[in-house]
Amino acid sequence: MLHLTEEQIAVRDTFARFTDAEIIPAAEAIDEAHEYPKAMVKRLADLGFVGMRYPEEAGGSGVDLVTCCLALEEVARGSMSVAACVTMQALMGTKFLEMLGNDDIRERLFKPALALDKIGAICMTEPDAGSDLASISTRAVETDGGYILNGAKTWVTSAPVADFFTVFARAGDEDKLTIFLVEKDFGGLVIGRPIEKMGVWALPTSEVAFNDCFVPASHRLSAEIGDGEEHLRKLLSEIRIATAVLGVGIARAALDEAVRYAGERKQFGKPINRFQAVQMRLADMATDLEAARHISYHAAQLLDAGAPHRKEASMAKLFATEAAARVCDNAARIFASYGYAMEYPVQRFLRDVRFTLIGGGTSDILKLVIAKELSV
Amino acid sequence: MKIMVAVKRVIDYNVKIRVKNDETGVETANVKMSMNPFDEIAIEEGVRLAEAGTAEELVAVSMGGDGTQETIRTALAMGADRGIHVASDEALEPLAVAKLLKALADKESPDLIILGKQAIDDDSNQTGQMLAALLGWSQGTFASKLEFDGGHVSVTREIDGGLETLRLAMPAVITTDLRLNTPRYASLPNIMKAKKKTIDQMSPEDLGVDVTPRLTTLKVVEPAKREAGVMVETVEELLDKLKNEAKVI
Ligand SMILES: Cc1cc2nc3c(=O)[nH]c(=O)nc-3n(C[C@H](O)[C@H](O)[C@H](O)COP(=O)(O)OP(=O)(O)OC[C@H]3O[C@@H](n4cnc5c(N)ncnc54)[C@H](O)[C@@H]3O)c2cc1C
Repeated sequence: MLHLTEEQIAVRDTFARFTDAEIIPAAEAIDEAHEYPKAMVKRLADLGFVGMRYPEEAGGSGVDLVTCCLALEEVARGSMSVAACVTMQALMGTKFLEMLGNDDIRERLFKPALALDKIGAICMTEPDAGSDLASISTRAVETDGGYILNGAKTWVTSAPVADFFTVFARAGDEDKLTIFLVEKDFGGLVIGRPIEKMGVWALPTSEVAFNDCFVPASHRLSAEIGDGEEHLRKLLSEIRIATAVLGVGIARAALDEAVRYAGERKQFGKPINRFQAVQMRLADMATDLEAARHISYHAAQLLDAGAPHRKEASMAKLFATEAAARVCDNAARIFASYGYAMEYPVQRFLRDVRFTLIGGGTSDILKLVIAKELSV
Repeated sequence: MKIMVAVKRVIDYNVKIRVKNDETGVETANVKMSMNPFDEIAIEEGVRLAEAGTAEELVAVSMGGDGTQETIRTALAMGADRGIHVASDEALEPLAVAKLLKALADKESPDLIILGKQAIDDDSNQTGQMLAALLGWSQGTFASKLEFDGGHVSVTREIDGGLETLRLAMPAVITTDLRLNTPRYASLPNIMKAKKKTIDQMSPEDLGVDVTPRLTTLKVVEPAKREAGVMVETVEELLDKLKNEAKVI
């Protein structure tokens, strides 16, 4: 198994304990509220979650991806909503501000965002551009002192509570993907109502429209017009590995619940874990989880080592999230009617795990990436 | 004021304890270990006193074999300034630990030593008391509140039937009870900072303490399994069982 350093163990332990004592008891209520769980995410930010991957000079702790994944796995086994909110803030919503923002942007928006005093969102997906980001049609036209942005985005996580938005739009003579920063008080920015979702209820996600929205030149994050795709590609592996680990976390929760329940529930005069069919199911779940964990952390290690990892990151996301979905499905079968009842957490796992199958690329898209890496 | 806090590495409170097959003790191989919960409270109290400016230095000390440093590192991540590790592979009994702590107190001259009231592994509840006796210092055990004035500390203790407040002259030994405070989680930046703090290492010999065990463990066994209960049909049957089987009435 993965060899962990003393700090990695310490970080995992901090978030494991926080998850057990603070998140798990609150998880159901957080989802029922259907609102961004600001207080809880703030507490994670105060423990250094959001700044984890940023260098110390930028106010972060500069830990490797493995360490980040250990923390993420723990939070995800407590609440996928909370884990997804904090992942969005830490790995995506703030990423390009730190990487490409000027001093004003870094001081005024990025730094407070590390403590969740500001919230960031990322706008890539459009109604007609999901997997196919090459179809993005939001456009930025150059004007005096900046750009005029027009277009519609959808599935923008944290949008209803966000203070700033990283936007992928076409710009320049060749209409290439370029990254812009829009602040919530910019004229022409319209936030739609949150989309009602099957799962991750506390992760508010909305449509966002730009109607002649003026973006000052200082807020073009791309140093070069058209460098958006390259930046996106660099970010994707990390997002895929992180999403894989969200799957590992929720699968762990589902397996733990199933093992416990199978020992308690009695039918035909004995606990159901005495039936071989139930044992087989639990064994399959545990094996899926173990394999998911290995493939995910292996990809994280490759990324940390600076080794090629594009294929492995895609494989990790593909395998770990599909395995997690199987584990949650199997847990629901072990719970049977109680897996269908809202008062037990298994139904939540079953609904929430499906988010990991979509964000960061669907399984089909990941297979295309893997095949391409095989030079098929 | 300088504070010394003693921390112990124990089997994590969430772990289901298993007795070794040969009945010599409990299984510790591949078992999750962490800081004794009462010691976390002791560290937290020290950190709060440092944050309030009441204490200038907070030293975390521990004794034991491999892994002890990890527990000291946790104390440093919570906010202790530096650590001392007395390395020993012996099973250290409370008296040996108290003697080692006395030797460290002689070296470090703290104004206050805070310990957990007991460790959750052996539940001895002796070390703090023995240490106070060896040092000839005042002691406030089972503290649920501390207040400082000049060279004194008022210790509120939870005792049968209510609260007792003692006013101790310092230097003093305090042992913590559950309600003294709620320990913080070590934050990521502080975990990284703890890496750079120093942990001095020494041996019992360096401190001139003989830690040879004085007690012999004869055997360690699982608690007896609880028998399943029985359902009685009538009050008469219940009374009959209480009278003739349990013989309690
Ligand atoms: C909860 C949630 C939060 C999200 N948050 C954000 C966010 O913050 N910002 C953001 O920009 N986006 C966000 N998204 C959007 C997400 O990235 C997209 O949903 C995802 O990229 C898939 O796009 P789509 O849903 O339009 O599916 P489509 O692209 O329409 O895919 C439909 C189906 O066709 C398949 N398919 C498509 N193309 C191919 C192909 N070439 N070969 C084989 N099969 C194919 C897919 O696998 C899928 O099965 C979020 C989504 C969810 C569910």
